[in-house]
Amino acid sequence: MIEFNNVSKTYPGGFLALKQVSFKVGSGEMAFLTGHSGAGKSTLLKLISMMEKPSSGSININGTELANIKYQDIPYVRRGIGMIFQNHNLLMDRTVFDNVALPLVIEGFSAKEIKKRVETALEKVHLLDKVRCFPYMLSGGEQQRVGIARAIVNKPPIILADEPTGNLDPKLSLEIIQLFEDFNAVGVSVLIATHDLGLIARMKYRTLTLKQGNMINDGVVEGLNLGGDHG
Amino acid sequence: MANSHSALAHRPTLIQKLLALPVRHLQQAIGSLGDLWRTPFTTVMTIVVLGISLTLPATLHVFVKNAQAISHQWNSASQITLYLKLSTSDKAAQALVQRVSLYPEVDNVVFISPKQALREFSQSSGFGDALGYLDKNPLPATLLVTPTQRHSQSQAAQELLAKLQKEREVDIGQLDLEWLTRLEAIAHLIEDIVMSVALLLCTSVVLIIGNTIRLQILNQRQTIAVMKLVGATDSFIQRPFLYSGMWYGIFGGLLATVLIWLLVNYLSSAIAKLTEVYQQRFELDALSGNEVGLLLLFAISLGLLGSYISVRRHIKAIEPSAE
Repeated sequence: MIEFNNVSKTYPGGFLALKQVSFKVGSGEMAFLTGHSGAGKSTLLKLISMMEKPSSGSININGTELANIKYQDIPYVRRGIGMIFQNHNLLMDRTVFDNVALPLVIEGFSAKEIKKRVETALEKVHLLDKVRCFPYMLSGGEQQRVGIARAIVNKPPIILADEPTGNLDPKLSLEIIQLFEDFNAVGVSVLIATHDLGLIARMKYRTLTLKQGNMINDGVVEGLNLGGDHG
Repeated sequence: MANSHSALAHRPTLIQKLLALPVRHLQQAIGSLGDLWRTPFTTVMTIVVLGISLTLPATLHVFVKNAQAISHQWNSASQITLYLKLSTSDKAAQALVQRVSLYPEVDNVVFISPKQALREFSQSSGFGDALGYLDKNPLPATLLVTPTQRHSQSQAAQELLAKLQKEREVDIGQLDLEWLTRLEAIAHLIEDIVMSVALLLCTSVVLIIGNTIRLQILNQRQTIAVMKLVGATDSFIQRPFLYSGMWYGIFGGLLATVLIWLLVNYLSSAIAKLTEVYQQRFELDALSGNEVGLLLLFAISLGLLGSYISVRRHIKAIEPSAE
């Protein structure tokens, strides 16, 4: 569950990235987050993953008020969130297996359990044959899928995805979205930030639309308009 | 999609985590050794600097230890000479020898009668004929008192001398205290110099290791940020760097041990030749097994301290970013 209550974020220098944003993505709910570049999507994702602190307002993740979280407890909050990044954030000097296994190693799973879970996650993203490859040996789309496998491998209750289909062809994009739907079907909250209006229109899920830090739309949309040409 | 997946996914229990902990430590320790292996130039340079920095104070320690052994030999050889009053009879002198022998501070007493003293003096001085013209023997009876090992140090020997001088038969008591005091002062000075040099070198070792670890952390900035993003705690991220510090300490300590052994062996023959000139036999004592163990432990502590200071400062400062 993700809940924002009147959350604002002002960066040093005075740039107001989010203005009094309130919304709730319940357990087992799937939603899209959209808006132009600079609309505040990345800031919103950073606030959820505790990469940034809100200037005002409150954020509640899985029943935990983030304002009450101490520095040393931040990792435990992050373990409950599977994050998929636009730039993949993979470790280039480690194999695909090691990259995907990282959250499990950190949590202290046994080697046997790690192997089982990593293989299952890679199978879901059709990369089991690349298990021994290094990320630089893979295409952009394949790297994206390794990032997805890493995000889902420890079965987190929340998945945050920043442009997860950006480097994928339409067929694979659909497969990845179906993968998120599968997770969603078993109670995982999924929030997908995307520019792909066609995808949003096709999937008919609840969509949160940001413009210049304001939440301008919250609901299922048919023909989506991001609110003008300027973000 | 597997149906087993749920928001309340299986997490390892505390017991499972505790069981996995030694394995994870071992993996991280071996992994950090692999990281050092992948940067051979930096690793070797750091180990050599650490080894040499430890060799200097440790070698000085070896020399102080040997110098102390020599000075203890000289100290134990030191004697108190008691010149008895000329009026002391042989019987009274023998009684004094008996009494002094019973002192707990005394190891040995040698009595030299006036006749024996004159005979030795005439032989050694070359005035044999001239001494024959003397009406009576001017030399007093003498007692050579050797203190026990415990009472051969200057302070204790001085106290013993004062006690012996209170004996009514004793005219003059002598002990070369100045010589002993100077020797001890020099030994203490050298010890202090060794400690100061060791302190400076150890500080530099901590700083060198700290800086090496800092560079490793900065090189792995991206990796650390990603690890934080997927939920790694600072202690999990710090551990391989702390193990790197430990490895630096182990290899630096071993290098120092080898260098000291080579130095001692190199100097042993020269010292043996020198002591032969003085009709003495002295073998340079290298580091004992315990001392090697302590040196390694000390080197590991320095490695860990250097890396700990660095990781505490730098890993917390690295924050993940989504860009």
